[in-house]
Amino acid sequence: MDSLIAANISQRPLRTAISIVGVALGVILVTLFAGLARGMMRDAARRQSSVDAEVRFLPGGNVSLAGNPLMLPAKYADAILHGVQPTTEDPDLEPKPPISGVSDTSPVGEYVQGSVAGIGFEMVDGLDYASFIKTTRLSLVQGRGLGDGRTPDTAYEAIVDRYYAASGKDLEGRPVRIGSKITVLGHEFTVAGIYEPSVLARVKIPLYTMQQLLGGAENCTFVMVKCEQPELADKVIEDLRRYYPGNHVIATNEIPALYSQGLAPVEIFLNVVIGLGLVISVLVILLAMYTTIIERTREIGILKSLGASKRFIIMTIEKEAALISAMGVVLGFAGALIGKLWLEANTRLMVDLEPRWLVLAALIGVLGGVVGAVYPAIRAANLDPVEAISYD
Amino acid sequence: MNTVLETIDLKMVYHVGRVDVAALRGATLQVQSGEYVAIMGPSGCGKSTFLHIVGGMLKPTSGSVIIEGEDLTAMTDAERTDLRRRKIGFVFQRFNLFPTLTAEGNLKLAERIYSGRNNQDAARRHGVLKLLGLEDKMHHKPLELSGGEQQRVAIARAVINRPAIILADEPTGNLDTENSDIVLNMMQQLNKEFGQTIIMITHNAEAAARADRVIEMRDGHVVRSGAPAEAFGGRP
Repeated sequence: MDSLIAANISQRPLRTAISIVGVALGVILVTLFAGLARGMMRDAARRQSSVDAEVRFLPGGNVSLAGNPLMLPAKYADAILHGVQPTTEDPDLEPKPPISGVSDTSPVGEYVQGSVAGIGFEMVDGLDYASFIKTTRLSLVQGRGLGDGRTPDTAYEAIVDRYYAASGKDLEGRPVRIGSKITVLGHEFTVAGIYEPSVLARVKIPLYTMQQLLGGAENCTFVMVKCEQPELADKVIEDLRRYYPGNHVIATNEIPALYSQGLAPVEIFLNVVIGLGLVISVLVILLAMYTTIIERTREIGILKSLGASKRFIIMTIEKEAALISAMGVVLGFAGALIGKLWLEANTRLMVDLEPRWLVLAALIGVLGGVVGAVYPAIRAANLDPVEAISYD
Repeated sequence: MNTVLETIDLKMVYHVGRVDVAALRGATLQVQSGEYVAIMGPSGCGKSTFLHIVGGMLKPTSGSVIIEGEDLTAMTDAERTDLRRRKIGFVFQRFNLFPTLTAEGNLKLAERIYSGRNNQDAARRHGVLKLLGLEDKMHHKPLELSGGEQQRVAIARAVINRPAIILADEPTGNLDTENSDIVLNMMQQLNKEFGQTIIMITHNAEAAARADRVIEMRDGHVVRSGAPAEAFGGRP
């Protein structure tokens, strides 16, 4: 082997392998975490697109689309559709008219539970099935829909989307079919139907059951409001804000943008992951190249005796580090791809390996390696030639 | 003949803790182009220090070293490195080959450092290896070669870029008599047939006897310079 760099790399195969794995770990960390965060958010946003209701009515306070507990009284759904009148039980109730232009409303409970697969999390919808199908494109492909959950035979039934049925396992580890038992909110539910397309959470149970399991209040997370005509949405939003101040009213088509805003803390997390990936690459290469130049002190002395300039020595070490880092990047990509395939096969997590994150991870791997080799390279270049060539 | 090397009142003092140790105390010497010079002297007399200074690996405390008109002592570290690249070829007692590279790889590396290019003169490289009897060893790594063969590869590496001077630091010090003889013959051949200037440090009188001139050093001075017959009183 006539190439000094290739010869040096192959001379210490174990150390080279450890260095490559170290860089690969940083690359996997960046690509997989970024892919996971993006994949989950994108999947959640995509599942919003099958909602026909043009308006979403949410409780006041911070708007969060993930993991909101049941904070909004479900009776808002009825009030928006039919209006509010004082009753004998509540004679002081301020009367409100039905919101003009609204054709249907549906209260939805949304809860985040730990993934049954043990990795990540998954959302569960609690819904009033009869009104829900009027506000979305949900369509059953097998079995039947949900009951109201108020009778024992309908309380612990669930419907799941096709993806869940295809990728999930029931309590006995078998593929999910009609009649399969699955765990939802810590309880055993029977799958009554399979639907498509994916809309909101992949698992749906009766809203009443969710309310009972989460404390009994007759609340929901939000109300979906469907307009008689899509072009009436702006007026409906305006009326809802006027009659029900203090609550959030948003257009459904703004939700993907809200998901993007929700990514802000995720971006911070990803930046930390990127920093960690960079630090790992720098440290791995720094340690590897530092020990390398100590072992090769005599060889560096030989290079100097041959008239090699400092630049030549630095470039030789930097090229070696860059080559190791590049191999680490390739291994990291392979690891990330295997991780993606494994996660998607064994969990309901989605991983998007976006090109820009792959490029960023590659840059981090190679740049981290090159930066990590700077100090050892400069140290080698500055060795005294006589001392170096006499080194034992 | 042209003067290829001139040292003038060369002094070198090492600072060892608070003690100053004088390795050279004013060594003055001239070497002509095409000359084969042997430097002898007891251990600690300053031979190796002299060689390292002449090769630009050390900067002297005072004095001058002029190689083909270029004053080494007036140069920066980078300029000395560059001069070493262009005009000096080293041969060491311990061969100092790259163990991971083949014989040819060691030569290619020296060529690349010299020229900065990867495309080299393969014909010359093969010619040098053939001259030194190594044409069938080109693809062998140092550990697959005998000591004598390794030293011949080291000589090939030293001459491959046509240096003005070859500086050899006890080149036969690690070799048995037979291999020493082969290596010395080859150095003599390089000198006689190609006019290669060689300065060789040796403790071996038989090795020194093959040189044109023998210089004796003692206590950091050049104390005698003359033909081998004079140095050894007519008896090598």
